Amino acid sequence: MVELALPKGSKPTKGKKHAAPADAKNLRTFKVYRYDPDGGADPSIDEYQVDMDSCGPMVLDALIKIKNETDPTLTFRRSCREGICGSCAMNIDGTNTLACTKGIDEVKGEVKIYPLPHMDVVKDLVPDLTNFYAQHASIEPWLQTTSVQPEKEWKQSTEDREKLDGLYECILCACCSTSCPSYWWNGDRYLGPAVLLQAYRWLIDSRDEATGERLDNLEDPFRLYRCHTIMNCAKACPKGLSPAKAIAEIKRMMVERRV
Amino acid sequence: MADMRTPLSRVRGHGSAKSGTDHFWLQRLTAIANVPLVIFALASVVALVGADYATVKAYLSMPVVSILFLLLILSGVYHMRIGMKEIIEDYVNGEGMKLLSIIGNNFFAAVVGLACIYAVLKLGFGG
Amino acid sequence: MSASTEYEFTDHTFDVVVVGAGGAGLRATLGCAQAGLKTANITKVFPTRSHTVAAQGGISAALGNMGQDDWKWHMYDTVKGSDWLGDQDAIEYLCRNAPEAVYELEHFGVPFSRTEEGKIYQRPFGGMTTDYGKGIAQRTCAAADRTGHAILHTLYGQSLRYDAEFFIEYFAIDLIMDDEGACVGVVALKMDDGTLHRFHSNETIMATGGYGRAYFSATSAHTCTGDGNAMALRAGLPLQDMEFVQFHPTGIYGSGCLITEGSRGEGGYLVNSDGERFMERYAPSAKDLASRDVVSRSMTMEIREGRGVGAENDHIFLHLDHLDPDILAARLPGISESARIFAGVDVTKEPIPVIPTVHYNMGGIPTNYHGEVIAGDPNDPEKTVQGLMAIGEAACVSVHGANRLGSNSLIDLVVFGRAAGLRAGEKLTAGGPTKPLPKNAGQNSIGRLDRFRNAKGSTPTAELRGRMQRVMQNNCAVYRTGEVLEEGVKLMEQVHAGSEDIGVTDRSLIWNSDLIETLEFDNLIIQARATMNGADARKESRGGHAREDFSTRDDENWMKHTLSWVDDARNVSLTYRPVHTYTMTNEVDYIEPKERVY
Repeated sequence: MVELALPKGSKPTKGKKHAAPADAKNLRTFKVYRYDPDGGADPSIDEYQVDMDSCGPMVLDALIKIKNETDPTLTFRRSCREGICGSCAMNIDGTNTLACTKGIDEVKGEVKIYPLPHMDVVKDLVPDLTNFYAQHASIEPWLQTTSVQPEKEWKQSTEDREKLDGLYECILCACCSTSCPSYWWNGDRYLGPAVLLQAYRWLIDSRDEATGERLDNLEDPFRLYRCHTIMNCAKACPKGLSPAKAIAEIKRMMVERRV
Repeated sequence: MADMRTPLSRVRGHGSAKSGTDHFWLQRLTAIANVPLVIFALASVVALVGADYATVKAYLSMPVVSILFLLLILSGVYHMRIGMKEIIEDYVNGEGMKLLSIIGNNFFAAVVGLACIYAVLKLGFGG
Repeated sequence: MSASTEYEFTDHTFDVVVVGAGGAGLRATLGCAQAGLKTANITKVFPTRSHTVAAQGGISAALGNMGQDDWKWHMYDTVKGSDWLGDQDAIEYLCRNAPEAVYELEHFGVPFSRTEEGKIYQRPFGGMTTDYGKGIAQRTCAAADRTGHAILHTLYGQSLRYDAEFFIEYFAIDLIMDDEGACVGVVALKMDDGTLHRFHSNETIMATGGYGRAYFSATSAHTCTGDGNAMALRAGLPLQDMEFVQFHPTGIYGSGCLITEGSRGEGGYLVNSDGERFMERYAPSAKDLASRDVVSRSMTMEIREGRGVGAENDHIFLHLDHLDPDILAARLPGISESARIFAGVDVTKEPIPVIPTVHYNMGGIPTNYHGEVIAGDPNDPEKTVQGLMAIGEAACVSVHGANRLGSNSLIDLVVFGRAAGLRAGEKLTAGGPTKPLPKNAGQNSIGRLDRFRNAKGSTPTAELRGRMQRVMQNNCAVYRTGEVLEEGVKLMEQVHAGSEDIGVTDRSLIWNSDLIETLEFDNLIIQARATMNGADARKESRGGHAREDFSTRDDENWMKHTLSWVDDARNVSLTYRPVHTYTMTNEVDYIEPKERVY
């Protein structure tokens, strides 16, 4: 559902300022969205000055430094710090990306950090991804076969295996889905780019025997056809994948089986 | 009231409507059809600039021209109706309002389409 | 309000509770659910964020897709890789069941890379040989260089098919042990609302991973804090072989991010500042594909002798630039991306700066090959703890002994994850009666939680954690000496004592990551102490434990597993347990110790 302005209680106010130690010379300013669910107060934008001479190169390094040295209450998800687990997805400098692979030097001026857009915020930079995960579960992301299983592996040609490249690498970080206006407005019924990319990963797997059922399950004005090829998803994906292309392929399959 | 359903139940909702592909396909089909038809219509208008009523009427009552204009009306109005429906589904809040808008859109398309067809036929059959 | 009245428990009863949702935890959860058991999985991160996701190179199994292979050769390599500290019955179980476990993963949907015949592609890996060391084996099944990611996502998808209930972003605090020493469940904190949950179960399976974050620089994720190991220690159980920490030869210099051994498997090699392929000197036959402990020591030696590269002469170059760019794109796309992001290097043109980096903990909760936890009873070294299992990196079965071979950890996860599921299915009946919870079940967890939540000391958690990490990095590195280790033991004792003065700032209960990091630090520090003390005591060199003052392996005195215990008063004590000098079946003989050369 379209909401062009933030609802009441969600508009961020000006927050606290945290200065760097006096002897620090190479400073950068980080403006970070803060929301404390306990206090009942509106969210705020806190400002932190960070000494770059003692900080790692990535935005995640700065967040960890802030948490370690300045403000232990700052809350965000993180794990692998090498761009494979998908925990630290957030909106940095206006783009959804992973904090661990986003270089601070890629951002000019103040570094503005917000949670993934249009999601319920649990606390600070931690969004509630329950609906996103449930949507992923709804496409039945597992290999479905009815033939008798072979003693060894299902055979797959290298050409068929290549069709999975650009799909299986998805890390479910939700950067793409939460960058998609269609998903913002209709996230309750539209599956969104990440989940549709995952759906295509199983549709195109030569070993899978449930392609028809999978297509049936997706053929819906909302689940699939809310994609209006806005292409934000492909621009946002921190792994360089193209959910838009995967969605186009699903639509092609839909037409193919009719025409 | 708190929603106590499981997340999966919410996501599965009413299940797949098993439709949408026809709309998607017709939207593309009419888009393709509209390209030559619109070019033809524009060319006709340009060619007829400054012409008097009788010339225009004679041109429009040629069978080929009539048929091409009828095709443009069908394709264009259908395209408009689908496009408008998508926009309504995206941007109109509230199920009641959405339903009203969609009904309105269908009525509007029907009226516009029929009015145009009537005009072309009237010209064609020398009304 | 007193601590116990402020917190209330939400109670759950399950046949099996699995703690951790990485490769091993998910595989075990699947197995238990398939066996019809009512199964819960508690995980502090969403399953696909678990660190299995970062495993790159592959998963070993003697499928023979690329040439002749035999699980007995795989077993020989694993025993030799373990420097004979591995238990050979468990190693037999692992290697014998490996092919079936891999085929099962393939049937689950893992997108393995393929050979021209459409079979699973296998690549060479360090220490993997054919015919008992004679040739180089291609045994490591790969999905490009994202095998762990492919496996974890597939296992997660599979887990959605079954009736296992997932408790995601629940942080496990402590085990519930009854008076007879049996485990009857676990207490966990629900992170998004701060409620406490008591899981009552017949079997608790720990799949909580390693504790790489005890070190300053590690390939491990921030979440690799060995929470299960620490829970076992606090439950009065020992950890085994904690001094054996694997340094991966190729962590990216600076960030510590992993560059897979598969890069050397595909033909990459290491050079020093003279441009020399120095591994030819240290391991004339296996060269760059010697096992990880050997390569890491060789690199450290080159750097020490002044032949390191870079402005500080403190790292080594890994060359991939001679490889066909198409091969790099097809088989090593992930590390090409990592090298670009974290080292600013285009692998088709330049070498990657690398350094040995903490990667894997061979040690952990001692178990037998069914996954059942060993109690550490001096009179009965095989006695198990009722109701408790451990699998994956958290466990020490021990199949990796003193040094794990690359690609043997992913197979360890699925083989023993599966074994735990099978064992639980054998032992338990669905909905069977549970042992009663003891009267004060979970009170220790409340005490621990409340103490840290309200900790008002003057040392922030991050500072203590930093101190611990630096001591581990300096005093328990690739090469170790008695003097440095003794200093390490004292320094670590001081850091541990310093946690009396720990200070937590965030007092909330919703997503209090300050509190979680403090609980994690409290888990790490006792494992760090067990590691340091174990290393100090072991006066020999074996696998990942390289002592300069005792430079050879001493089978006479040290062919035994270390058991370390840490009590509530912060005392560390060590006992020992014999290594199994027998195999599981009579189809294969015990492999006698001999000199380990590559």
